[in-house]
Amino acid sequence: MAQSNNSIKKILTVAFALCIVCSVIVSTAAVGLRAKQQLNQELDRKSNILDVAGLYEPGTDVEKAFEQITPRVVDLRSGEYTDQFDPQTYDSFQAAKDPAQSRTLSGEKDIAGLSRQENYSTVYLVGNPDDPEQIILPIRGQGLWGLMRGYLAVQGDGNTIEGITFYSHSETPGLGGEVDNPRWKAQWEGKEIFANADSVQPAIALVKGGASGETEVDALSGASLTSKGVTNLLQFWLSPAGFGEYLARFRSGIERQAVQDASTDSEGA
Amino acid sequence: MSDPTPKGVLTTPVFKNNPIALQILGICSALAVTSSMSVSLVMTLAVMFVTAFSSMFISLIRHHIPSSIRIIVQMTIIASLVIVVDQLLKAFAYEMSKQLSVFVGLIITNCIVMGRAEGFAMTNSPGLSFLDGIGNGLGYGFILMTVSFFRELLGSGSVFGFTVLETVQNGGWYVPNGLLLLPPSAFFIIGLIIWALRAINPEQIEENEFKMKENTQPKEAV
Amino acid sequence: MGIRQTLDNLEPHFHKGGKYEKFYPLYEAVDTIFYTPPSVAKTTAHVRDGIDLKRIMITVWLCTFPAMFFGMWNAGWQANLAIADGFGAPGGWREAIVMTLAGGHDAGSLWANLVLGATYFLPIYLVTFAVGGFWEVLFAIKRGHEVNEGFFVTSVLYALILPATIPLWQVALGITFGVVIGKEIFGGTGKNFLNPALTGRAFLYFAYPAQISGDSVWVAADGYTGATALSTAFQSGMNALTDQFSWWDAFLGFIPGSVGETSTLAILIGAAVLLWTKIASWRIMLGVFLGMVATSLLFNLIGSDTNAMFAMPWYWHLVVGGFAFGMVFMATDPVSASMTNPGRLIFGALIGVMTVLIRVVNPAFPEGIMLAILFANLFAPLIDHFFVQANIKRRQQRTGVPAEENA
Repeated sequence: MAQSNNSIKKILTVAFALCIVCSVIVSTAAVGLRAKQQLNQELDRKSNILDVAGLYEPGTDVEKAFEQITPRVVDLRSGEYTDQFDPQTYDSFQAAKDPAQSRTLSGEKDIAGLSRQENYSTVYLVGNPDDPEQIILPIRGQGLWGLMRGYLAVQGDGNTIEGITFYSHSETPGLGGEVDNPRWKAQWEGKEIFANADSVQPAIALVKGGASGETEVDALSGASLTSKGVTNLLQFWLSPAGFGEYLARFRSGIERQAVQDASTDSEGA
Repeated sequence: MSDPTPKGVLTTPVFKNNPIALQILGICSALAVTSSMSVSLVMTLAVMFVTAFSSMFISLIRHHIPSSIRIIVQMTIIASLVIVVDQLLKAFAYEMSKQLSVFVGLIITNCIVMGRAEGFAMTNSPGLSFLDGIGNGLGYGFILMTVSFFRELLGSGSVFGFTVLETVQNGGWYVPNGLLLLPPSAFFIIGLIIWALRAINPEQIEENEFKMKENTQPKEAV
Repeated sequence: MGIRQTLDNLEPHFHKGGKYEKFYPLYEAVDTIFYTPPSVAKTTAHVRDGIDLKRIMITVWLCTFPAMFFGMWNAGWQANLAIADGFGAPGGWREAIVMTLAGGHDAGSLWANLVLGATYFLPIYLVTFAVGGFWEVLFAIKRGHEVNEGFFVTSVLYALILPATIPLWQVALGITFGVVIGKEIFGGTGKNFLNPALTGRAFLYFAYPAQISGDSVWVAADGYTGATALSTAFQSGMNALTDQFSWWDAFLGFIPGSVGETSTLAILIGAAVLLWTKIASWRIMLGVFLGMVATSLLFNLIGSDTNAMFAMPWYWHLVVGGFAFGMVFMATDPVSASMTNPGRLIFGALIGVMTVLIRVVNPAFPEGIMLAILFANLFAPLIDHFFVQANIKRRQQRTGVPAEENA
């Protein structure tokens, strides 16, 4: 029997039959479950957004809660909405890799360590899209060990922070990983991004040993580099190079024209 | 080894012939997934499922597998099962699969699965092979759950996600041990488990490969 | 001969069949503190000498005294300075002792500083000794061998590389890990390939980094925050460091840091004795030093706009952090270092290079000497292996016959 098992014919038959059976099983599983998996991914993204807006609690019907949220694509350079892309399908991470839809950042300008930044980004508006209660901005930047991705929820005045969340990061558990700690996240509520009504550069920062001002948040203890990373990425995304232009739409007392001038020199390639 | 009995193949891999503690197989995933108990439990179930069914299927067709391509045949069966498990987790336990990330896929490279397929299923009946897979999954799970119990309890102050020791970060008194949140700490715990198991079962201790020369006469040193 | 007689009277109880048979290791430990061990080498193959392991270890122990006493003074001085600036005094029993013995928090008084520092250092040392000693004796009794003197040195070195403000329960956990996992698991002194004191420190470093990474409070005054010199340079650059401390401050040790690590001068005094008595290997120290100088010069040459540590010159590397202490007391541990002479140079150089590499390039850890020594410990047997093999080969070529098995 061992002899016949090792004949060329038998080897080929077994190999072929096995391949057929296995590939049928695998592809059935993959195809059959794909819809469900995509739904999961979508739900995960949506619940992150709801979470940062403070609208998510365990047991919430994510789809239903998400109805009050409108995604829009924003041109970061002008701060205007654009209809060039469908906000449901536009992927800003992909766009950041595409030279036609992004620009390179380097040196002083690239404090968040991104090296490429997309020209258009998706924001999520809670409530009435024309006069939103909250604006949810995607943020990302280098932490200590790698890229941190998250959302920042800003109130309708374009200045007061509602919440922050990082849904993907690789910081040290127990130290930098405490960006996930609800107690730490809770202190963001009510903090202000800008020091004055007319300032263009954001002032929000993490400070060591007892935050006092409206624009200061306690740094993560024992994780100075992660804290620095969070400060840098906020400073970047809330400056005119990031969502500064767009936020100016909601802030009163700021000349938008002046803001535009400040950022023109950072354009290119 | 005498003829394997159904009870034997189920229980020996847990203490007497533990795949991790004695054979030192499957260490990689034991390091990676054990920082939380619920993740470890899912990983254990996944490994148990794959080991049991791959052993059973391989045993079913063992008389038809040509010896020249038997490893590839085993790999194909194991890989297919792993992909199915991965897809199922993504569809029905998305949170869990996010935390397990690549480690479900890496069950393919888990030596326990291959080891049982090659070492047991090729020579035993499907029923026994299935039980043997379950048994080895249990042995793997026993270590995983023990390691993750200590890592989660001392590292994050909780068991299965329920807070037992209120940590300082959350306003309690317990200062969590950050080392236990890092994968290498599993090495220490596995090492200590092996130490304990061998203290109980001295027959597990390997023979010395060499012997150190005594520098004093035994009678002088009392 | 009172002691000898008492000991001799007690001895039978500890022998086989005696009442306290199990505690023979304890008896032996006490006995050999006072007298030479009864079992000495008598055959011709040995060099006979009055020195034994216990005398060697005591010499090392004494060599740490300059660093230890300076460290206690400095810990007190740093705290008293901060208290003079308006930060809260430590309070509790420490305050009571300080008030009784020194009468106040006067940073100008040598005595007041020393007392305050001692109220921090001595409990750490005591806990280390008690907990570590417990494990040591437990394993000695269980395995039926003598209590090993190596622990004497391990405990003092371990206590000296901790910051004064560390909670005592962490001290206990660290030394437990160091002794059990770093040493006993491999069979005890002589069989450990890692330095137990550093293993314990490394455990604390990864387990409780918030307290021990040198990033925040190391000065024993309530509410005081400040970084160690190395941390300052790491985060804010060389200029921030030189604004705060002068090189002489750092060399003499007037900077915050782990108890025994701050004063390079005090450590070098200990080093001189160790080298003079030939207890420590000068090759290892030289190797560490040269490795550090070469690597830091290389980084100075390369330069970097974003990483301030590239600019740190070698003479600063020498005086900040635990470099000097590690070079003198940790790298030269005879058990975990290389045993061959050329191997020692390489082993030392590896430590020096790795230290600077970790300090400069790694984004997370400001200090590198601890990890560098542990890393080099792992390589020591490999380095020795190469030199021993080379020796065997050379001899074979010279004599034309294979060397004997035990050559």
